[in-house]
Amino acid sequence: VKDVIIKPDAPSALLLDKHADYIAAYGSKKDDYEYTLSEYLRMSGIYWGLTVMDLMGQLPRMSRQEIIDFIKACQHECGGISASIGHDPHLLYTLSAVQILCLYDSVDTIDVDKVVDYVKGLQQEDGSFAGDKWGEIDTRFSFCAVATLALLGKMNTVNVDRAVQFVLSCMNFDGGFGCRPGSESHAGQIYCCTGFLALTGQLHQVNADLLGWWLCERQLPSGGLNGRPEKLPDVCYSWWVLASLKIIGRIHWIDKAKLRTFILACQDEETGGFADRPGDMVDPFHTLFGVAGLSLLGDEQIKPVNPVLCMPEDVLQRVGLQVDLLS
Amino acid sequence: EVDVLVQRVVKDITNAFKRNPNIDEIGVIPCPEARYNRSPIVLVENKLGVESWCVKFLLPYVHNKLLLYRQRKHWLERDALVDITCTVLLLNPDFTTAWNVRKELLQCGVLNPEKDLYLGKLALTKFPKSPETWIHRRWVLQQILHQFSAVDVKQPHQGEAEQADAERGQELSEHLARTLHQEMKVCSEAACRYPSNYNAWSHRIWVLQHLAKGNVKVFHDELSSMRLWVSMHVSDHSGFHYRQFLLKELITELWQAPAGTTTASSQHQSSTGSSSSPLHQSHSQANGESPGAEAAAEEERQLSFSTLIQLFYAEMELCSDLIQSFPGHETLWSHRRNVFYLWQNL
Amino acid sequence: MKLYSLSILHKGPTKANLLKAAYDLSSFSFFQRSSVQEFMTFTSALIVERTTQGSRASVKEQEYLCHVYVRNDNLGAVVIADTEYPQRVCFTLLDKVLEEFSRQVDSIDWPSGNPDTINYKALDIHLSKYQNPREADAMTKVQAELDETKIILHNTMESLLERGEKLDDLVAKSEHLGNQSKAFYKTARKQN
Ligand SMILES: CC(C)=CCC/C(C)=C/CC/C(C)=C/CC/C(C)=C/COP(=O)(O)OP(=O)(O)O
Repeated sequence: VKDVIIKPDAPSALLLDKHADYIAAYGSKKDDYEYTLSEYLRMSGIYWGLTVMDLMGQLPRMSRQEIIDFIKACQHECGGISASIGHDPHLLYTLSAVQILCLYDSVDTIDVDKVVDYVKGLQQEDGSFAGDKWGEIDTRFSFCAVATLALLGKMNTVNVDRAVQFVLSCMNFDGGFGCRPGSESHAGQIYCCTGFLALTGQLHQVNADLLGWWLCERQLPSGGLNGRPEKLPDVCYSWWVLASLKIIGRIHWIDKAKLRTFILACQDEETGGFADRPGDMVDPFHTLFGVAGLSLLGDEQIKPVNPVLCMPEDVLQRVGLQVDLLS
Repeated sequence: EVDVLVQRVVKDITNAFKRNPNIDEIGVIPCPEARYNRSPIVLVENKLGVESWCVKFLLPYVHNKLLLYRQRKHWLERDALVDITCTVLLLNPDFTTAWNVRKELLQCGVLNPEKDLYLGKLALTKFPKSPETWIHRRWVLQQILHQFSAVDVKQPHQGEAEQADAERGQELSEHLARTLHQEMKVCSEAACRYPSNYNAWSHRIWVLQHLAKGNVKVFHDELSSMRLWVSMHVSDHSGFHYRQFLLKELITELWQAPAGTTTASSQHQSSTGSSSSPLHQSHSQANGESPGAEAAAEEERQLSFSTLIQLFYAEMELCSDLIQSFPGHETLWSHRRNVFYLWQNL
Repeated sequence: MKLYSLSILHKGPTKANLLKAAYDLSSFSFFQRSSVQEFMTFTSALIVERTTQGSRASVKEQEYLCHVYVRNDNLGAVVIADTEYPQRVCFTLLDKVLEEFSRQVDSIDWPSGNPDTINYKALDIHLSKYQNPREADAMTKVQAELDETKIILHNTMESLLERGEKLDDLVAKSEHLGNQSKAFYKTARKQN
């Protein structure tokens, strides 16, 4: 079996302070080569960092005004928001920006109507969504579209029925979902599609037992979860898989204690932060999904996280967004 | 001083492509320090290498230059744009905006589709999963398809014009066949470089759906050429999924053949439950139809039916054989489950 | 599934001595091949040095598996494969090449031989033939002859090392690894 071995000296306690320090320091390395390399996804990067800080109760350590100004500067004429200044707008970063503004309770600092128009304009005849004006279709973008609209309370501005039809057409024989009709099931795409169906009130359309079975088969002997059969475990899949299981009401089907052990083993005791696997290099992406995964597992040092939007539950309450899950 | 260095390196890269149009791989050469008086761009056996020490100067420079242009703070000539986006993308192919700049250059005719497919292919030799590279490829392929359909839908003219159109149509369909073949090759290479490469295999599916819709021969060829590949990659779930896609498409085609005999296909489609067993079906049809022209159709139906049975039989045999030779692979069992599923849902 | 290297070595009192090797590095990126090859040679020697006479072992290192057999007469062989390649076929291959080698090359030449002086040419052919295990040999036959319980499994290279010994140090000290390979080793760690 393809898996990792967790060494006896791997971390087994949650190092929250180190993680907060790691994220707080991350943004100050702006001259780093790696920082330039990842600029094309900066807006999502900021969302990962802020969300994990909020889940740990450390949001005030981040520079609120600077970030809000940055987001404003990233909104384009068309209403869409880009990853960073000078980059092109895209649904991926439009969602991240709206998520950040919800964390800061300041959605009104951008032109919300234009955002809504932008999202609306990307819906296609068949109900699917393009990621940007160049037309790539993916169920990830269906999720981004409805998640953005749900956070803005504007879901009814698009054709929800058709959007649902398209997502359902990406369902496979194993109960999972892929990026387009005919594509392989993938835990990340399953998260997007179950999250999408939760937001649109259509979860009864999934075969929860079949999909739940596939999802919990992602757990490996090490306790970690992979995203597809015979792939290595990765901390980010503790989010994509676990959140999906939570959404379809089957989270009790996995071995929580073992998963916790795996997630904790992916911490770097020296630098703080989580890596994809024990011993690898840490980054903000895996740090968010490690911490959010632990929250879903019920860790009480972390705020409860919403499995559909990957944001603190208290933030969604403030926004007034309630998403029903399967039980 | 960094400026001068970087400009020279960008030029070296452009020249390397001019000097050798057959470059088929890019890579970084581990090399912590510059060697005096030598370009960090190395060209050996059709492989283009960049020494690692210079990447950390090169990338931020071209990156910033492109973003300044995008913010209209700095003007760049078209040729310079082509060179800069090329360098950026070979080092950081998920930089979406750089691909978008090339889309615009393509739309105004500065670049041609083949050139961009080539650049993407090279980027994939170093970054075989790069989602944005695959996404850009699909956009370029759509452009080629549009060209194709623009000629295709034109009303038939008379005389010479018609002749010219037919020739152009022929030319384009050959072009399309070549493009299809090339895409399959690009996908195969990326699939070999990174196991269970989701983006490579879902691109391959997209290409068949858009460039070979309903072309049974292409699907058959793919199925047989995949046979050895999956046997040598028994844990590659994506490769097996692709095979499942091919099987499903072929089964659908065979089930509905021959085209035009609506009774047959509608009967097949509406059938449910245990009575939908293929044998059962073909008998009930043989009974209800009149002789004559129907006989030929019936014969054809029998033929595609036996092809169908053979297809299932061969797949089950392959699967059993692989499970026995290579025990313990989740992928092989999930493939088996899918084949049964297809059978059950005929 | 893939076989990357196949080498025959002689296990001396302290060091292992490479006698012959074959490589298939076509699946690695071009500019990494020479470093990868040096590492495979380095690793094969290290494994033979740390394996006791008359034993078989498989050592896991990232996505690779190194299978080793050191015979009682100190002749050893290592095959490096990916994790998909069936283990028992690897050990058949090792048995076979060692048997053939010892028939063709006089044991007097083993302790001091090197790839240039040893005249044994079949290694490349074996490596390429065994790329497809189902064509290489009757796979079922093998199962009966090999008692898999006798194969020791190491989950990391580290478990071959002695107390206080570190792989990084061995790499840094090695005379057989060039600077480029050492730099490559550094970039290859803590990443994926
Ligand atoms: C609000 C949140 C948390 C997210 C926004 C919604 C999005 C964009 C979710 C992305 C989900 C995801 C990870 C989709 C999978 C994309 C995909 C098909 C990746 C294929 O990668 P692999 O080839 O499997 O690579 P690995 O081997 O590294 O897994």
